[in-house]
Amino acid sequence: MGSWQRRSHRAGDLLARAAEVDGLAGKYSDFADAVLRERMGDFHEVFRRGGAPAKAQTLEALAAVREAARRCLGLNPFVEQLAGALALHENCLAEMATGEGKTLTAGLAGVLAGWLGRPCHVLTVNDYLVERDAAGLKSLYEFCGLRVAPVTAAMTPADRQKAYRADVVYVTSKELLADFLRDRLRLGELHNPERWMIRLVINPSRPPEGALVLRGLHTAIVDEADSVLIDEAVTPLIIAAARSNEGLKQAVELASKLSARLKREEDYTVDRRYGDVELTPVGMERVRLEGEVLPPFWRGQARREELIRQALVARELFHLGKQYVLEGVKVVIVDEFTGRTMANRSWREGLHQAIEAKEEIPLSDPTETLARMSFQRFFRLFPKLSGMTGTAWEAAGEFWQVYHLPVVRIPTHRPCQRVHRPDRVFVTEAEKWAAVAEEITQVQKLGRPVLVGTRSVQNSEMLSHQLFAAGLEHRVLNAKRFVEEAGIIARAGERGGVTIATNMAGRGTDIRLGPGVAGLGGLHVIATERHESERVDRQLFGRAGRQGDPGSAQAFVCVEDELLLRNLPAPHRKAVRATLRANAPGADLLARSAWKQSQRAAQRRAFKQRVGVLRQDTWLDEALSFAGMK
Amino acid sequence: MERSRTFSESWHRVASQKIFLRPGVEVQRQQFRGERWIVLRNVLSNQFFRLRPEAYEFVARLQADKTVEEVWQECLERFPDEAPGQEAVVQLLAQLYHANLLQYQLAADAEQLFQRQRKRQQAEMGMRWLNIMFMRFPLLDPDRFLVRTLPWVGRLISPAGFVLWLAAIIWGGKVAIDNSTELMRQSEGILAPGNLIWLYLGMVIVKTIHEFGHAYFCRKFGGEVHTMGVMLMIFTPMPFVDASSSSGFRERKHRMLVGAAGMIVELFVAALATVLWAKTAPGVLHSVLFNMMFVASVSTLLFNLNPLMRFDGYYIFSDWLEIPNLNQRATGILKYWIERHGFGVKNDRNPARSRSEAGWLGTYGVTALVYRTVIFAGIIWFIADQWLLLGLLMAVACLITWLVVPAVKLVQYLASNPKLERTRSRAIAVVAGTVAALLILLGVIPFPHHFRASGVIQAKEWSQVIAEAGGEVAELLAKPGQTVRAGQPLVLLANPELALELAGAKAQKEEVESRLRAAMQRDSASVKPLEKRLESSVKLIQRLEKERENLVIRARHAGVWIAPGGEQMQQRWLKRGTPLGLVVNPAGFEFSATVLQEDVNRIFQREFPQAEVRLPGEAGKLASITQFRVVPGEQQTLPSPALGWAGGGDVAVNLKDQSGQKAVEPFFSVVGQFQSSGEVTLLHGRTGKVRFELPSEPLLPRWFRRLGQMLQKRFQF
Repeated sequence: MGSWQRRSHRAGDLLARAAEVDGLAGKYSDFADAVLRERMGDFHEVFRRGGAPAKAQTLEALAAVREAARRCLGLNPFVEQLAGALALHENCLAEMATGEGKTLTAGLAGVLAGWLGRPCHVLTVNDYLVERDAAGLKSLYEFCGLRVAPVTAAMTPADRQKAYRADVVYVTSKELLADFLRDRLRLGELHNPERWMIRLVINPSRPPEGALVLRGLHTAIVDEADSVLIDEAVTPLIIAAARSNEGLKQAVELASKLSARLKREEDYTVDRRYGDVELTPVGMERVRLEGEVLPPFWRGQARREELIRQALVARELFHLGKQYVLEGVKVVIVDEFTGRTMANRSWREGLHQAIEAKEEIPLSDPTETLARMSFQRFFRLFPKLSGMTGTAWEAAGEFWQVYHLPVVRIPTHRPCQRVHRPDRVFVTEAEKWAAVAEEITQVQKLGRPVLVGTRSVQNSEMLSHQLFAAGLEHRVLNAKRFVEEAGIIARAGERGGVTIATNMAGRGTDIRLGPGVAGLGGLHVIATERHESERVDRQLFGRAGRQGDPGSAQAFVCVEDELLLRNLPAPHRKAVRATLRANAPGADLLARSAWKQSQRAAQRRAFKQRVGVLRQDTWLDEALSFAGMK
Repeated sequence: MERSRTFSESWHRVASQKIFLRPGVEVQRQQFRGERWIVLRNVLSNQFFRLRPEAYEFVARLQADKTVEEVWQECLERFPDEAPGQEAVVQLLAQLYHANLLQYQLAADAEQLFQRQRKRQQAEMGMRWLNIMFMRFPLLDPDRFLVRTLPWVGRLISPAGFVLWLAAIIWGGKVAIDNSTELMRQSEGILAPGNLIWLYLGMVIVKTIHEFGHAYFCRKFGGEVHTMGVMLMIFTPMPFVDASSSSGFRERKHRMLVGAAGMIVELFVAALATVLWAKTAPGVLHSVLFNMMFVASVSTLLFNLNPLMRFDGYYIFSDWLEIPNLNQRATGILKYWIERHGFGVKNDRNPARSRSEAGWLGTYGVTALVYRTVIFAGIIWFIADQWLLLGLLMAVACLITWLVVPAVKLVQYLASNPKLERTRSRAIAVVAGTVAALLILLGVIPFPHHFRASGVIQAKEWSQVIAEAGGEVAELLAKPGQTVRAGQPLVLLANPELALELAGAKAQKEEVESRLRAAMQRDSASVKPLEKRLESSVKLIQRLEKERENLVIRARHAGVWIAPGGEQMQQRWLKRGTPLGLVVNPAGFEFSATVLQEDVNRIFQREFPQAEVRLPGEAGKLASITQFRVVPGEQQTLPSPALGWAGGGDVAVNLKDQSGQKAVEPFFSVVGQFQSSGEVTLLHGRTGKVRFELPSEPLLPRWFRRLGQMLQKRFQF
């Protein structure tokens, strides 16, 4: 049944039906506003009742909503956007390129979902977009008889509660999940339906949901679905409270000092590929001898070695500027995918303290987890899940397997004019960065804007220094400078502009070309490294050539890239390096296949990890079902 | 299991819970290999759960008014060194919950519970199909019956009962020794087709008593017995009882006794049956008693005592070693070793808790694996051979459950087991290498190959000595066993009648002669008829004289004169044509082997086939033969009845045939010359086994050929 359902949503079929909707346009264009509003009310009623009539009137209703959009927003949705809205309405994942008007598409689908009368959440990437979209589409929703509200991080619980009462709520997935978990905590054991009912019967005057923020979960329309549902799916959201634990702090401090005296290879080995550290027998013996100073709880062999390994992991595998940055005397985690900092987040008990101990800043209190859930598990709770993204096709299998989401590819409204040049391959980092700087200078001379994507904050800063030295004006967008984000993006498409951005620039940003730039060839995107996931690469390249604009994209890679270090066996890597050095015939081919293979290996591993987390979650749910779900 | 972390990311799920052991969970201490363990028993489901005292320290502290977090903290303060980490606690609670040992505050998630039940049932069904050769069907709950009857029966389980048992065994043993010849005689026919039904009947009676033995012993020591039913052992219904509650006994002695109870009772039955058998006359009861005796003694000791199959012996052995779940953990340690040393998996916990335990587990694991492979292969072959098409289908089912399913599981394991995450390529390489090595070993490397056939030694020159004339044996002119020349008289027969006849014939001749003389003078007309008469009487005399000469039986050729009758022949009257013995020329012997058609070709794959003959009674000595030839044309009559079933040989013969020489399947005679007799005494008519050396050939094609031949024979493909 699965693959049948997966295939039943063909883009062609959707487009045909969208064309049908397009054909109905004339029917509503003559209606006076009041009449159209009334008609909307009828649709609202039909949809609220649901069932076959609602299904039969979907196309009619969409045509009416489209007309409303034309009147309220001045935008007339294309057939492709209508197809996208239909796909969302039918619980699919729509693949739509950047600049194809995903906001409006989500709006159309949001109206249809809002009419159902069940909670509808439109999930976007950040608070800026939440506010922008909710405000931008407000008139459309209101015209259709629906209330819309944004929920952002800054809001108080009371405001949130009020906002969530709206028919359609714009919110980030993190806020939603956090509110959901906090509600669960408030409910306590009442989340068991029987208990809830009994409580209601016994004490009808004080319904327990009074304190709850959410109305419930039903429809979710997820923007940038691949990032939310896949890349970040297994990072759990944690509701935590700090709790002092002097014993742990003391142990971590001592372990950090002890670990500093251990020698790599002699006392321990590091496996970068899998991100862990093993003690050698020599190291174990040393830890046994020197571990006498630890608090009694940590003296046992298993415990003390665990503690030391953790200290070593903090030392060897977590690097300042890569996985975290320091803000004053606080360690702040950097999201490796987006390059954004994640304040108020911390690593698991002990590890965070171990990193603080390594940086020799005061240790924070370890946090105690109160509730914890991965996005993967969270989104599986929605009865009606749909999503949009520019890049979904590569992960179609996973979307289906994990979320039962079929992927539909919606074609672009205008043919894509982006020129994708083949990757340039170098042996060393130095050669690569020199070439990148050279390329930037060349393109910038033509007056074309350049967007350079880097993988880490460190790299972006380094390139910035290099460009400064070369006297090239540019802007940097990274985790440390997120405040200026909107402004930088707005100017990134201007003539002669150079923008260096970490991966964050790849998502949810629409770089409009400045006047006259299109004639020069549009935006040129340089990726300074290939990412582990092909989708993320495609996201970055997708910044160029939006909505039929001209543009070009190219990746600069070298054998010392982390992608290869982590995913290609050393002999293979050496062979690639040697062939490139010798400039042997076929070196290009070999290099290309090496990169492909590395990406594939990385993606396979990531997929396995996600499946493993899912399995573990399912197991825990079952094994600990006596404790309820938290 | 991975290293257990001190802090668990799932801790918050349990931290605030107030959970504790269900009331009515029985707690028992047990010693295993010098270590203390705690065994929890769920009284309702009769399930057991074993845990370490450190873990029990934690579990025991759980109460209705304390959260898990509080209890854990308390444990940390009291035993900072030994207290389990959070991850271990989460694991432990999950396991206890799964074993239905926990009482918790939230109403249970009913859907989860039903799901769990469905899963368990599915798993049980799956297990049933996987154990297709030992399918169990629980039928009734004998516990109440056992409790009611225990006051009487239970008295036997006592020192007095032991004395009684011992007396019965000694008595039975004595009767058996006294009647050993009769016993041996009857045992030979135990698998004869006519006896199978009695054998089965005896088996069912004995095994029912056996199972009740387990049940009563278990009940006597306080274990409950709730399941009794029928097990289809290789499709043969047999009773079974579930006495697994004995694993909760504190005393190892008691656990072992419950395991041994079946055999103890059976031996008792065997003793009684022996005594009764000796006292009954042949008949139904006699047969049943004999078969009961056989089953209860021989088969019990052969099968039940064997720890390699999962019968009583296994449980006794496992209790004796103090290693519960011996089989499972033995498999576990083999897997652990392979993963650690073969695949390079680190961070895995050794399932053995000590070196000696690892030794036991490993030894047991390997032995049981080899043994079971052989047994299962045997079962498959037997079934396929026995029951034609149905048998073939069942054999295919067995092949699927024992070979295909594990193979698929292996592939799945290699492809997706998270444990192999880091060493997957090495694991795949090791497995592929092993498989390749096996294939090369079986499919490419030729092994010396031979095949055996039974046959008989024949002298190249031999003749049967036959009485060519009837007569009484007057004298043995040559002693049997003596070497004789060609033409040497062997036996002198006396035939007075012949002498009289000869005298009469001679007298008649004289009469005719004189009448002829007279006629020549007087009556010339009667000369002619008289001449004819004379001629005929001369002929008669010649014939009779020849016959008289035949009274001296001579050797037709040189050789050894062999007369089975020997001296006893003296004075016996022999009819004409009676065989007296053989003259065998010991100068040259050949060996005539009976070879089935499908094997003939194989012998002649070699240009000069080589073979060695072994004779019964001279096992260590060999004689080699060469220069084979096939007697062209299929034969049906064996050269010696000793080769056929009827004569104790191994060629199937038609049992209706009196001579016992008519083979069921036609065969070819392959005759070879003895190169040198070696140390073997070659005697004409001696049967033996010939071992043909065939060209070396890999094992796999050989097996396929045998399979093909079997199919061909069974189904005439």
